[in-house]
Amino acid sequence: MGKRPVSAEFVFATAQYESGDWDSAPLLPANIIDTIARYTEIAVAPTGVIVPLSDDRMLRYPLLYLTGHLPVRFSDAERRNVRLFVERGGMLFVDDHNHDIDGTFHKTATQEITRTVGPLIELPNDHQLYSAFFKFDGPPTTSHELNGWGDNLVHKHLLAVMRGGRIAVLYSSKDYSSEWNYHPDSKRFMSIDNTRFAVNVVVYALSA
Amino acid sequence: MNAFARLRAARFALATGIVLRALAWGAVAAITVVVGVALVDVVVPLSLEIRARILGLAVAAGIATIAALAWRDRSVLSAERVALWLEERFPSLEYALVTAVEAGDERFVAGASTDRWISTAQRRAVASLRAPLSALVAATIIILILPSGAVARVRSPRAGDSLDRAGTSRAGRGNRLSPLVAEVAPPAYTGQASTTIDEPADVRALAGSRVTLRGRGSGDGILMVASGDTLQPGTRDDRWSVPFTVGSRPMAVRLSDGTDARIIAVEPIADNAPVVTLVTPPHDSVFRAPVGRIALTADASDDIGLAIGAFEYIVSSGEGETFTFRSGTIGAKRLDAKTATLSASIRLDSLALKPGDILHLRAVARDANDISGPGVGTSETRAIRIARAGEYDSIAVEAAAPSDAEKGMISQRMLIMLAEALQQKRPRLARDTVVRESHSIAADQKKLRRTVGDIVFTRLGGNPSAEETNDEENPQLAKSMTELLARADSATNQSTDPVDFQGGEAPVVAVNKPLLEAYNAMWDAAVNLEQGEPDRALPHMRAALAAIQKARQAERLYLRGAPLPVVIDIDKARLKGKDKGSSSARRSLTVSDSAATARAARFAKIVELSSRDPRAVVDSLLLLRIDALTDAPTFAAALSDAVAALRAGKSDAATSALARARRALAGPAIVQDSLGRWGNAP
Repeated sequence: MGKRPVSAEFVFATAQYESGDWDSAPLLPANIIDTIARYTEIAVAPTGVIVPLSDDRMLRYPLLYLTGHLPVRFSDAERRNVRLFVERGGMLFVDDHNHDIDGTFHKTATQEITRTVGPLIELPNDHQLYSAFFKFDGPPTTSHELNGWGDNLVHKHLLAVMRGGRIAVLYSSKDYSSEWNYHPDSKRFMSIDNTRFAVNVVVYALSA
Repeated sequence: MNAFARLRAARFALATGIVLRALAWGAVAAITVVVGVALVDVVVPLSLEIRARILGLAVAAGIATIAALAWRDRSVLSAERVALWLEERFPSLEYALVTAVEAGDERFVAGASTDRWISTAQRRAVASLRAPLSALVAATIIILILPSGAVARVRSPRAGDSLDRAGTSRAGRGNRLSPLVAEVAPPAYTGQASTTIDEPADVRALAGSRVTLRGRGSGDGILMVASGDTLQPGTRDDRWSVPFTVGSRPMAVRLSDGTDARIIAVEPIADNAPVVTLVTPPHDSVFRAPVGRIALTADASDDIGLAIGAFEYIVSSGEGETFTFRSGTIGAKRLDAKTATLSASIRLDSLALKPGDILHLRAVARDANDISGPGVGTSETRAIRIARAGEYDSIAVEAAAPSDAEKGMISQRMLIMLAEALQQKRPRLARDTVVRESHSIAADQKKLRRTVGDIVFTRLGGNPSAEETNDEENPQLAKSMTELLARADSATNQSTDPVDFQGGEAPVVAVNKPLLEAYNAMWDAAVNLEQGEPDRALPHMRAALAAIQKARQAERLYLRGAPLPVVIDIDKARLKGKDKGSSSARRSLTVSDSAATARAARFAKIVELSSRDPRAVVDSLLLLRIDALTDAPTFAAALSDAVAALRAGKSDAATSALARARRALAGPAIVQDSLGRWGNAP
């Protein structure tokens, strides 16, 4: 296996971290890639990659997706790389697969993000992210929020760590990891593609 | 009293006078140095460092003077020279005294009058003291004339005594902002002593420190602006003072008094959070049953001091989408040191763990920072999982038996010890004995290598027994060995990527890489041992141990780790047949440079200003430095050097520092190996 060159095409990268089940949404990457291909002309790689946060190669990707159910505790190497990643202009998209505001993932992940990158703030619902491609009035709700699963809350905002006016870390308690974790072929059964917001996340990450 | 006794008494009187005169001149020399420096200090303020050395210089001058005078007049110890001195004063002796001393016969001066010898010598001794004593009186008068505190600044110099200096310079007269002293009191929790800075331009202090600026005269009309707040100093004993607290961000403190103004850069030093390392358990593990006790040990350290340390645990239960959590703290301990070792133990039985549960353990330490903290440091987290019944066949969780890799590590360590012992006693052994014992170790090394080979073979999908009876005489098995070595070389030498599911290397090879390294190293070690060269074998043996250790630490298998290989057909998703043109122009992300641009513009203006108003340039550079401290420390450091050089009037050094600042601002050179896709080239 040779070294992967810095690619001219967008590669969806899933962050692997030591402490938890980083692979809890295995179908999500393919689904997002399919969505990017459907709606945009962005050159996109047909498969995603899994990249350890402790590996310097994580710095090659402009967007990293991180999810899980279990406690998030970065190792020193992971923390150092995440800090570097954000300083270099990368965007870390963290989604709580528990969709539980009092859950351990939420507590530990927000604690770890605060410690590593900075404090999370509520992202205004008129932020550029929500109009980067499709127009949204805020973060789209998920079926898991609406059916009362998790913390019984419909979260009105996403959280973010801002750096130089751009989103460095996007944190979601919406559980998009469950909402988007299905085979892309199943989209044909949907009246509205619920992964469209992922296009905004990717476009924002590539252009902000 | 006979003549010789009177001669000795006269000599004693003369010697006493000489010693006292030397001491007096020595004192005059020392005081003159002190007074001279005090006079200079009145005109031109001397630094604390120079003044601290003056006292030593004064003592040295005094001692040198005493020594020189004593050496010059050492002839007073000679009876002949004293006798000659008396002959000069009493010509009637007609050299009878000198002759008596040289002959040692007192009878030569039997008839001489000896009554006035001693009194003459005493008068001479007293007369010799007049000059030094007069000089001493003159020096004392000068000391009394000098302004109050002038001598004290030289005699007992200390930081902050610039307020005591009697200034005569035109610049200092009437300017209440000079001299200026900053007294820095660190936060109480640090237990550190206060420090004082004369004429502060930069103040570096722990966040939360209390800084008091002091100056001479009344505080009426003086204003201090810090962090948007305006304060007026208080006055006491003809000294004004104004306190402020060091925040968490750099700031500029501006003092103004009519047309006089000063800017002080305040750079906070952050109290770092404790650093915590979990020593035991050393790695994650899987237990077959939730029984027994786990020893917990952690090392903690802090730059100021630790306050509390403890271990935290979280028990996560469940699977899939349903998880529940419990958490708690154990082994909490009050600490009062910069470093500490935490220890505790946790009984798995008491946690009511069920199969599939995961126990997350970490150590936490807090410092005593009650200003911006407490700073909390945490160790890495260890995960202890209780195996489910269905996993018993797939994971080795025998209660006490170490895994194969661990057994290998123990054995390798034993082999290293044996080889080291053999190497140590090698000079005393016959060559045959060395070779025999080395062969014995080589045999064990080969057995261990086969065991490691089995593990690797099994994981690579090969036949474990193929390596079991490896022998060079069996070509079929040698082929297996060749194959294994080829795979080992391939994995350990040619590829450097540990995990990348997009590459050509199977993940299982990547997982086995440390063991393959160990296998290679063991091979080399065994060859050297068979040649009776344990010293050459030892580096390979240690490399093998390190590789096994790496495998033991790194091996972490996620049973659900491999996502389904879904490959998106991009053309299909884009509805094949559509002319998609070229993809959107993309550029790599760079950190927003608006701040850097603004900073560069400010810097350019300041440099432009340098020819017209150098004083304003210093203040402007200070302010720019404060802004840049957080984001551009290299640039800020260069500005600090430039300010120091400008203040010292060193034009060349200032130019050099400003050039460095400009380079730091511009950042590293950007090298592109090709034209950009949307470049402006025709």
